[in-house]
Amino acid sequence: MPSDTTGFWTPVALSADLPAGTVIPARTPAGSVALWRSEAGRLAASADRCPHRGMRLSHGFVRGEALSCIYHGWSYAQAGNCLRIPAHPGLTPPETIRVAIHEVAEADGVIWVAAGVPASKPPRLDGLTPLRSLTVLAGKDAIETAAGGKTSPDGLVETAAGAGGVWLLAADDGQTLVHVLVRDDAGTKDRIAASRAAESLRRRAENLQREGIVQ
Amino acid sequence: MTAQAMIDEWYPVGLFSQLQPAGRQTALMGEPIVVSSDADGNATVTGGNGRSLPVLVRYGHVWSSLGQPKKALFPIPEADQPGRRFVDVGAVRVRCSPLRAVENFLDIAHFPFVHTDILGAEPHTEVQNYKVEIREDVDEVWATQVKFYQPQAAKSAAGGITTEYMYRVPAPTCSVLYKTCPPRPSEWDVITLFVQPLAEDLCDVWPWMALFDDDTSMTDLIHFQQTIFLQDRSILENQIPRLLPLDPGMEIPTRADLTSIAYRRWLKRRNYTYGAQLVAQ
Repeated sequence: MPSDTTGFWTPVALSADLPAGTVIPARTPAGSVALWRSEAGRLAASADRCPHRGMRLSHGFVRGEALSCIYHGWSYAQAGNCLRIPAHPGLTPPETIRVAIHEVAEADGVIWVAAGVPASKPPRLDGLTPLRSLTVLAGKDAIETAAGGKTSPDGLVETAAGAGGVWLLAADDGQTLVHVLVRDDAGTKDRIAASRAAESLRRRAENLQREGIVQ
Repeated sequence: MTAQAMIDEWYPVGLFSQLQPAGRQTALMGEPIVVSSDADGNATVTGGNGRSLPVLVRYGHVWSSLGQPKKALFPIPEADQPGRRFVDVGAVRVRCSPLRAVENFLDIAHFPFVHTDILGAEPHTEVQNYKVEIREDVDEVWATQVKFYQPQAAKSAAGGITTEYMYRVPAPTCSVLYKTCPPRPSEWDVITLFVQPLAEDLCDVWPWMALFDDDTSMTDLIHFQQTIFLQDRSILENQIPRLLPLDPGMEIPTRADLTSIAYRRWLKRRNYTYGAQLVAQ
């Protein structure tokens, strides 16, 4: 994935999978994050742990411009500061109560989360449209072998003959999140074909991984 | 993390009403055990190496210990009070520290968010001041004068009421809750949480109740509690870390968490650290 000395970007989700007013968990090499979009449409990513009692914030809920923990309803702003503690409605939460946040970028239908502070923006995916994401229980090498292509510096793999579209990889600890992209001009039939081909590629990559043919 | 200080405690290992001669395989603090009934119908508990473990039967459950209990099991006088119905709820297995399960039971601030429209509902989220103490004479944690608005406090409650609670922690993995009894305002309903530590990060939670409620069917009473505990499980299996952090820097409590603060302090003081994380990681 694109990196420089100060940080790097991970493609964690497709824009279409995160409507306004929702939160989802996302994996990055820097740890699990709660990725959320406010009702006004602003994106944010925070550490996936409420500092109060350790509950995963990705199980929480979004109301207005805040993310709330599902355990006790503590809510957080995009900047990570705690806005409200429902057990004490009259209390203004101290500045010290906050969650760590990550930089987020969104372009061409893909959401990227930064580890560290990357000097550049995430790569553009010119001419490509995101189709769907799937998790493959295999590493990059098995996926490359199954797809019959090598990963570009931007994290893109061209599948053989383009049948399975173009894959954008986010590898992490033995499993890989794959975003399937198709050409902008792909019709419905091409999209269905790319989706099916992606699933068969996933099975092949997982078999390769299981049989230890590639590490 | 050591089992040492907690090894001589009594733990629930099954329902007495469900005992089978063939025995049921389970575990206690990492050791496989078998809970069965002998020819006379008495409960027996066998440890991993075939040794007989201490046994007693109380509050609907079979209790045992890997060590040598120095104290009798904590008293619950209401268990002998005529007119109460005793409800064996059964086990809910939870992938969390037994201590986290108890701490969650002591918490009321989560009611509106986790038990929505049953034990709490927005906008009634405020936790008023209550009293907490460690009673040295009985070596128990107590919280009293706990009040909370509840849409449906119990199966027997007709509508929303402000419920009063008292909490007791008489053993490191057990808690007893005394709660406003809707049909009998002069009495308390008793709801307990008996937690069997299978491992430091895995437990069977055995709720048990002693209620004044002659109308609700046993099935409905059990379903009500199971609904509540399954809602709690969705929280308990998603807390990080899985062990209960006793390092004060690891989590941020507020005034609403005074019971939890006292519980953690008591655990630390007594070295009850099986299922606890002492140092931030």
